[in-house]
Amino acid sequence: MATRRDVGEELKYASELINAVIDGVTGPRIGLHICRGNWSTKEEVLLTGDYRALLPALTNMRVHQFVLEYATPRAGEIAVVGRELSGNVPGMTRPRELGLGVVNPRTTTVETVEDIMAKAETALEFYTPKQLFLNTDCGFGCFANRCVNVEEVAAAKIKNIAEAARRLREKYA
Amino acid sequence: MFTTTQVGSWPRSKDMLRALRDRRLGKISRAEFDRAADGEVRRTVRIQEEAGLDVIVDGEHRRDNFYSFITEKVEGTRLMSLAEMLDEVEDKSGFEEMLSTLDVPASAIRNPTCVGKLSRREPLALDDFKFVKSLTDKPVKITLPGPYLLTRSMWVTNYTKKVYGTQRKMGDEVVRILREELIDLARAGCEFVQFDEPVLTEAVMSEDCGRRTFM
Repeated sequence: MATRRDVGEELKYASELINAVIDGVTGPRIGLHICRGNWSTKEEVLLTGDYRALLPALTNMRVHQFVLEYATPRAGEIAVVGRELSGNVPGMTRPRELGLGVVNPRTTTVETVEDIMAKAETALEFYTPKQLFLNTDCGFGCFANRCVNVEEVAAAKIKNIAEAARRLREKYA
Repeated sequence: MFTTTQVGSWPRSKDMLRALRDRRLGKISRAEFDRAADGEVRRTVRIQEEAGLDVIVDGEHRRDNFYSFITEKVEGTRLMSLAEMLDEVEDKSGFEEMLSTLDVPASAIRNPTCVGKLSRREPLALDDFKFVKSLTDKPVKITLPGPYLLTRSMWVTNYTKKVYGTQRKMGDEVVRILREELIDLARAGCEFVQFDEPVLTEAVMSEDCGRRTFM
């Protein structure tokens, strides 16, 4: 359980840990997911802040994809990671990917296909369509006894993600 | 291009919640539990395929939460609710206040506390991968708790210090366990492995917000 420590040390340690797990293992695409908490549907109790403070750790991680919350405005601007994390994975010729969060798993309103497309197009300023994955901001039930949504809404949300991707592929083919 | 997927977990049905509880209390066998979970995973895979997602997840139905579930698989761990852990926290009123402010249900959220030498009793997610793969021709994503999350949450000084001395020593074991799992998944042909590190934001943002965490 957490107690306060030096933030710089913690970030360095976090990147050393993940690199030690993945270095030299080939085959799977390796992603790292970050969010600001998903234990409550009360947005105001979850964390707020963009990814800037995490960049010293993220830039050193040799993961292929960052799977990031971006549907919630609490996550800030896509440019923050777009500018720093859209080049190659360190030591590889493989471009880093972004798993862009385009729907909020905690809300009952389903994001429209147009909203999702617009969010994805913001990321295209920094990433190619091939580098860009579209996903939910987080899971729909990370804590079994504290699921943040119901199946019908979750299904409608992922359906709109798939439809947005289909239209984007047509547009950017 | 524009590959679609989701981050991992799916809402649990009433039946699944009952199976999780009964399994935790030892009222049903592993086989009975798996029968219940397999049905839920089948439905979740079908929903994703019907929606048209490109990379499929299993919905984490078998998991109590996205990191506590490792107590089922890793020797030297104990599943403890935050309410049980209250005894181990020095600042009890501060901890209780944090749980209430953050809307964290202390009895429903459980932690994988390290209480002994850690080793994989069985794979963490290899069987989950094989099962989903038997249901779909699409690529599959498997989610695992990240090494930083586990190194933070599993360390509870009163239990862990006498086993590992320092958090970094325990961290080396966490790395070994996750690396073994990743290699198993790679050998089995898993297309995508996602490590979850939500506490990274806590490390940099909670100070600004003047808060502590429960993970």
